[in-house]
Amino acid sequence: MIVQAILVALITTCCTWWFSHVVTRTWLYPLWSGFLVGLVLGKPVEGMMIAAAINLPYVGFITAGGSMPGNPQFAGPVGTALALVSGLDVNSATTVGVILGSVTIMVWTAYMSINTLWVHMAEDFLNKGNIRAMRMCNYIPSFFVSFILNGIPAMLVVLYGAPFGEWFQTFPQWIVDGFGIVGGLMPALGIAMLLQYLNKPKLMPFFFLGFALAEFMGLTTMMVTFIAALVAILLYNYQSDSTKKLTGGEA
Amino acid sequence: MALSKKTLVKNWLLTYSSETCYNYERLQGLGNTNAFVPVIRELYPEDKQAEELKKYLVFYNTEPSWMGTIINGITCAMEEKRAEGADISADDIMLMRSSLMGPMAGIGDTVSQSIAYPILAGICIQLALAGNFAGPIIFDVGYKILQLTCGYNMYMLGYKKGRDAIVDLLQSGIINRVLDAVSIVGLMVVGCMTVGNVKVDLSWLEFDWTNELGTVSLNLQTGVFDALLPGLLPLLVVLGTWALLSKKQVKPLTMVLIIFLVGFALVGIKALMGLY
Repeated sequence: MIVQAILVALITTCCTWWFSHVVTRTWLYPLWSGFLVGLVLGKPVEGMMIAAAINLPYVGFITAGGSMPGNPQFAGPVGTALALVSGLDVNSATTVGVILGSVTIMVWTAYMSINTLWVHMAEDFLNKGNIRAMRMCNYIPSFFVSFILNGIPAMLVVLYGAPFGEWFQTFPQWIVDGFGIVGGLMPALGIAMLLQYLNKPKLMPFFFLGFALAEFMGLTTMMVTFIAALVAILLYNYQSDSTKKLTGGEA
Repeated sequence: MALSKKTLVKNWLLTYSSETCYNYERLQGLGNTNAFVPVIRELYPEDKQAEELKKYLVFYNTEPSWMGTIINGITCAMEEKRAEGADISADDIMLMRSSLMGPMAGIGDTVSQSIAYPILAGICIQLALAGNFAGPIIFDVGYKILQLTCGYNMYMLGYKKGRDAIVDLLQSGIINRVLDAVSIVGLMVVGCMTVGNVKVDLSWLEFDWTNELGTVSLNLQTGVFDALLPGLLPLLVVLGTWALLSKKQVKPLTMVLIIFLVGFALVGIKALMGLY
């Protein structure tokens, strides 16, 4: 159990401490990080289903400039571990994921704030001409920050989380319902953040077009993307033609 | 002196560690300083290396994995010329980087977070919930193949075109056209995501009136919202949230609190109606 707990702690640490996006970019998302936890805990099928359920409210998740409307990096592995060791079902896992992901936003904020220290350390080393030490500052201290903030709680959950399942059963129905509603509303925040981020009022009809194709005609995401790509290419070509005309074309 | 292919590949791969020491003060500044060590080591004698690296330890933030790699490609082309003695100052390089980081973040975040991720997640979550191992595996492998293919090609494009790429991008307005095209795909995918992911269920809001003619019942969900337009309620929630974010400048974290308040207010109404 202790080996498994340490492995889960390391997975959770790397979900926030992205040593290289070549490997860890997908660890941000519960679907993958929770699956890894499931493998470590010897329950890959249950782990995968629970991880997918935790990922649901974060389908519209966007991070821009380091601000995040939730902390799926924590909710994914820790939520899956908690559900597996305490025997929660898939539906309860979504609820637990929403709670963990919201409460621990401050963990991410703390991580981003503490890391500022290492930049100053790196700057001192660079001023002294010590390039190797500057590089170490990029990798090592933030690992320990993430390990303390994310890894240790994950380890404790694996070791002592077993009674949580029974405790969760005693939660009044209204609390469970409340978090259920919150979980259903959460994707709206991600989608709205994206609309705000794109900030192209003239292009907003395309948002409604995507909505209409899916809701009224029942098209899948892949089908909508296919149509969207065609529309985008057509408009791009049309626009470039008109620009050419305005500037006199190739002549 | 041209940089060796090995150094370029190293620089490209190290770009993926841009966010290892992600922080609020300089965001990806330290990560990029680390990424340029191989480049500077190849171009400069040892006593000049630290000095040349300092220009990277500044505030820097872009999308580092899919599209933003083009900036580091362009930077390498400029560093090469600078080391040969061309008239390129450290400030020129910094200016190019800071003027491109915003637009490239716009394109990169749209491609990765509003197109690739929702599509992959949408498909793979359903597979995983059905107990199919293809779910998480397609998600991880598919995401990485797309990310590395885009990242490598953008990096090499930036390196080959060098400074011309910036002139092309910024002066011809091409970057805005690309951003528009990518935004169109992003917006349509996001519009499609509203369906099925945002869940608002008010079907418990049912009112019955009994008079001498019999009982009339009105269900707010099926009788009003769904009757007006299918999916109207989730759409209104998204638009309402968007209005709060953009018109009232509500912070995303405050928005999380508001969502919690709304969720538990609805539970409160449910309790008042005696449903518990």
